[in-house]
Amino acid sequence: MKPVRASLPAWEMTLCVLIVAAGAWSTTLSPYYLSLDQIFGSTRFFIIPGLLALGLAMVVSLGEIDISLASTIAVGTVALSKFSMFGVPIAVAAPIVIAIGALFGTLNGVLVARYHLPSLAVTLGTMGAYRGFAFIIGSEVGYTDFNDSYLWLGSARLFGDIVPVSLAAFAAMAVAVWLLMHRTVFGRHCFSIGLNPDASWFAGVNLLKIKVVAYALAGALAGLAALVWVGQYGSARGDNADGSILFVVTAVVLGGMDINGGRGTISGVVLALILLGTIRNGMGLANIGGPTQTVVLGFLLVGGVLRPAFAGALARLRRSDVNRADADA
Amino acid sequence: MSVPDESAAADQTGSRRVMEFVLRLREAGVLAFLALLGALFATLTSTFLTTQNLTTVASSAAILAIAACAQGVVLLTRNLDVSVGSMMGFAAYLTADYAARHPDIAPWELVLIPLAIGVALGLVNGLLVAYGKVPALIATLGTMSLYRGLTYVYAHGQEVTSSRLPPWMLTSVDARVAGVPVLVVAAAAIVLVVWLFLQYYPLGRRIYAVGSNPLASFYFGLRWERVVLLAYMLCGLLCGAAGLLYAARVGTVTVVLASGWEMSSLAAAVIGGVSVSGGTGSVIGAALGAVVLATIDNGLVLLAVPEFWRMFIQGVAIVAAVAADAVIASGIGASLRTRGAK
Amino acid sequence: MLEMGKSDAPEPKPQAAVLRLEGICKSFGPVRALEDVTFDVLSGRVHGLVGENGAGKSTLVQIITGLVQPDSGRVLLAGRPVRFRTPIEARAAGVAAVYQDPKLFPHLSVAENIALGAYPTSPIGAVNRKQMHATARKLLQQLGSEIDTRALVAGLSFAEHQFIEIARALSADVRVLILDEPTSALTPAEAERLFRVVRTLRERGTAVVLITHRLEEIAAVCDDITVLRDRRHVATKPAAEVDRASLVQMMVGRPLETLFARRKAPTLGEDMLRVENLSLAGVFADVSFSVRAGEIVGMGGLVGAGRSEIAQTVFGVTPPDSGRVILHGREVRPRSPQQMLALGLAYLPENRDHDGLIMPETITHNITLPIVRTLARWSFIDRARERRLAEDAATTYRVLTPSVAQIVSSLSGGNRQKVAFAKWLATNPAALILDEPTHGIDIGSKAQVHEMIAQLAGQGLAVLLISSDLPELLAMSDRILVIAEGALVGEFSHDDATQEKVMMAAAQQGARARQ
Repeated sequence: MKPVRASLPAWEMTLCVLIVAAGAWSTTLSPYYLSLDQIFGSTRFFIIPGLLALGLAMVVSLGEIDISLASTIAVGTVALSKFSMFGVPIAVAAPIVIAIGALFGTLNGVLVARYHLPSLAVTLGTMGAYRGFAFIIGSEVGYTDFNDSYLWLGSARLFGDIVPVSLAAFAAMAVAVWLLMHRTVFGRHCFSIGLNPDASWFAGVNLLKIKVVAYALAGALAGLAALVWVGQYGSARGDNADGSILFVVTAVVLGGMDINGGRGTISGVVLALILLGTIRNGMGLANIGGPTQTVVLGFLLVGGVLRPAFAGALARLRRSDVNRADADA
Repeated sequence: MSVPDESAAADQTGSRRVMEFVLRLREAGVLAFLALLGALFATLTSTFLTTQNLTTVASSAAILAIAACAQGVVLLTRNLDVSVGSMMGFAAYLTADYAARHPDIAPWELVLIPLAIGVALGLVNGLLVAYGKVPALIATLGTMSLYRGLTYVYAHGQEVTSSRLPPWMLTSVDARVAGVPVLVVAAAAIVLVVWLFLQYYPLGRRIYAVGSNPLASFYFGLRWERVVLLAYMLCGLLCGAAGLLYAARVGTVTVVLASGWEMSSLAAAVIGGVSVSGGTGSVIGAALGAVVLATIDNGLVLLAVPEFWRMFIQGVAIVAAVAADAVIASGIGASLRTRGAK
Repeated sequence: MLEMGKSDAPEPKPQAAVLRLEGICKSFGPVRALEDVTFDVLSGRVHGLVGENGAGKSTLVQIITGLVQPDSGRVLLAGRPVRFRTPIEARAAGVAAVYQDPKLFPHLSVAENIALGAYPTSPIGAVNRKQMHATARKLLQQLGSEIDTRALVAGLSFAEHQFIEIARALSADVRVLILDEPTSALTPAEAERLFRVVRTLRERGTAVVLITHRLEEIAAVCDDITVLRDRRHVATKPAAEVDRASLVQMMVGRPLETLFARRKAPTLGEDMLRVENLSLAGVFADVSFSVRAGEIVGMGGLVGAGRSEIAQTVFGVTPPDSGRVILHGREVRPRSPQQMLALGLAYLPENRDHDGLIMPETITHNITLPIVRTLARWSFIDRARERRLAEDAATTYRVLTPSVAQIVSSLSGGNRQKVAFAKWLATNPAALILDEPTHGIDIGSKAQVHEMIAQLAGQGLAVLLISSDLPELLAMSDRILVIAEGALVGEFSHDDATQEKVMMAAAQQGARARQ
């Protein structure tokens, strides 16, 4: 059986190499690529999906999935629009929206963990239900009348107008989630459940609680993503973030998370996000149309899933060499 | 307290009867629900029960029924296909474009092209899932974007306007046979043929078997890979057909044709009693599910309810159907588990 | 005393072996499963295959039916060497096996399950349903079963599943039918029906290989017996020539006394674990017992009696329907392993590799999983402290490994078991339930495990030892409880107990009805 730790650093190295390659390619496309402003500006491509990917990675580590996260963003943005309409200060609205995200995530978690419903089918349903809900409470034309304070998280920049606040927020979240998953008891339990839920249950892990918490955290991150969205795009409507789940799932899979649970790293997911963002940015510079970009994304997704098979084949080749050497010893 | 054999056996017979009843008559349940829905809308608005309205409902349901049937075939093997809409769009666009460029196209060509395209697209899906062992969601999520993207690239942003299509193509679907639109007859015929295949042909039965107990397949000499591949190809074929009919119905074929139909086809199939864990349900049920969805849509329009409720209702319906499924599945699982393994 | 060799077959006519195994050897990686097994199975005879857990019976069946290929040796069917690559090939050649876990399609009908793979078809290729049902009905009638062929398999009982599997086997011309522990989940009445079928098959000339633990079954129905022990073939004899004592002797093969160091008279403390009227519908009923501090209580019984289920219910894996558990004076209704671990109870699962350990993970990870919270400050795991704990535990429990960072799946069975011990004992339990702790591990590790158990009891732990290994049970236990068909049917003190008494109590049938 493949040991958990061995193959991953190799993959993260590969991702780094690919990022550099993608960056180099982008440089050839445009002389302005290497400006700090451009680079930081291009991060906007992956921050919102990135927050979702952090949440999805937690759920995937358990061996479950949640494809309703993009719909939760829509609920969040529409809720924000309501708050803005009533003149609620952002300091009050923001935590409430994050809590709403957590609530919707908890609902998913309860359906999956308490009632033992298959997570793919259930979140397929809640994906539609949540987005439909967002459409219902939102307005048809979309709300654009946001107070400046609402836009701060998604549009402002720090340190002399260079580093976007949203990037800083994402970085903070990435570090927090990394610590949570790789250094705390919660993360240890998540990965154990993903590898072997029965053995984890026997060892005293509270499956229900861990699963619900993971889903809730993913929902909360979606709520945060809604805050960023409103700042980045200045509008709120039921169809916000529709279709972005493809990017998110691709990032998680490409980042090395095993879709069956139990293996993977948050750092891998972050690297994959950066890679995808760089590729997306580069494709934009190369004037490759949106649809073609989607095609490329589709290829990357499938390629990402075939990665373990690929890595396994490589490892087998390597191991057979080692065995041959051992046999002579 | 004793554990007498007799009462345990009696319990088993009782619960066995209920389980079998539910498994066999899920379709009847959907039919009953449909009747209820119809009654509800009929009382709420006078325009519901008119011939014209019912014909509209039937026509809307027809294409979705074929798509639901396609999704159903894959669901039966314990997989799913979220590229259904993209396959429909791809097949529809390419066919329409070809027809526009070759006005003297023969009817059999017009039918054959989308079917062939559909089979090819389904083949790719099937190879990824059955032989590549890629999880069905991931594989078809990837091909969903792939196929849609390829449609865009091929189209260069153009749509195929109805004026460029052979007129007989457009009128044929509106024509009527004994008062019923050809579209509805065609859809019913297609669903019936697929149902017969799944019910009465060994290959069709294997699709059920593989979804019912994938692990047992090996012991029975069923080649799981081949059966799953076939299911995806059949799904692709049906999507091609659905795409063609859709194009014929709307006339103007855009690149976004049938976007979102994966959700609808899944919702229809699941509402109609096809289980996401495979092995049970029928494509007729899936088609009935499509009728339910079309009826709900129609009712909402007649009652001037905003369209957004549709997505919400669809989502809730999926969750409810999955929950009902889970209850049934756990009953089956319990009956198969060995008693007292040690 | 039960009479052996009472099968009612006529004197065996000399016949050629329909199935012959020659020099079969098989290893799975470093683990030896079979060692030079050779014997014949004659047609028209019921051939019992007996041996303890881990003797190699299941592997042998897998080889015969083509699921697994032998490393060396060959299988001959009617004199010709065969090498099946899949169970379907074996079935086509007339060799079929019926396993303990059903391999049927729950959503399909009985008739379809029997016919699948070989449907009768009409000229246009469609399945001829009438014929399918007729054939199925005929096959089932031959077995004396009246199951409705239209019924869905999902709604049927386990016994009926077995009949369907046998009917399936009969639908091709089967020459050798292998039944793997067929009665382990059947009631006595159902088991008798099964044996009637077996006898019918015997009359027809089919060879039936019956794998079983139950000595009564061997007596009632077998014509020949093959004994496997420690992965080797010990003997094949006509049942008439074997009496019970010699059968047990062949199965166990070693005089009891020399195996384990006898425990010195233990000092017992108060009741540490007390179970009162524990019941779980359909599995066990009204079970009550207690284990004192420093005591080793053995729990014996046949496979399928419900011992693991009782233990798992006490541990909270499956909450009971009624009854209570009193641990160290605290009364509780078990709800989850987390709860019971916190109260001081630990359970070493029978299925070690699946339930007891997380195979792809490191030794450290496995050992610390139940207690990882105590190794964390503000929820952040102190990795250095964790590693130290794992290293200490590995030393204490003599896990042979260069480093605690090694992956558990690469360890031998014996070492894995020691890691499991280390894990559960790291939780500092007051009471410990061990479920088949020496199952499938080498002799050396076995001895070490026994020593560990004795030491733990000596330190004041209350130990409940579930084991199918009679010598082990008799040597280690201060008291032996016997479970049969979900009920506690007997209790023996250390001095009173003998293998025969335990076996007799365990093989009691109708215990449930008597309650």
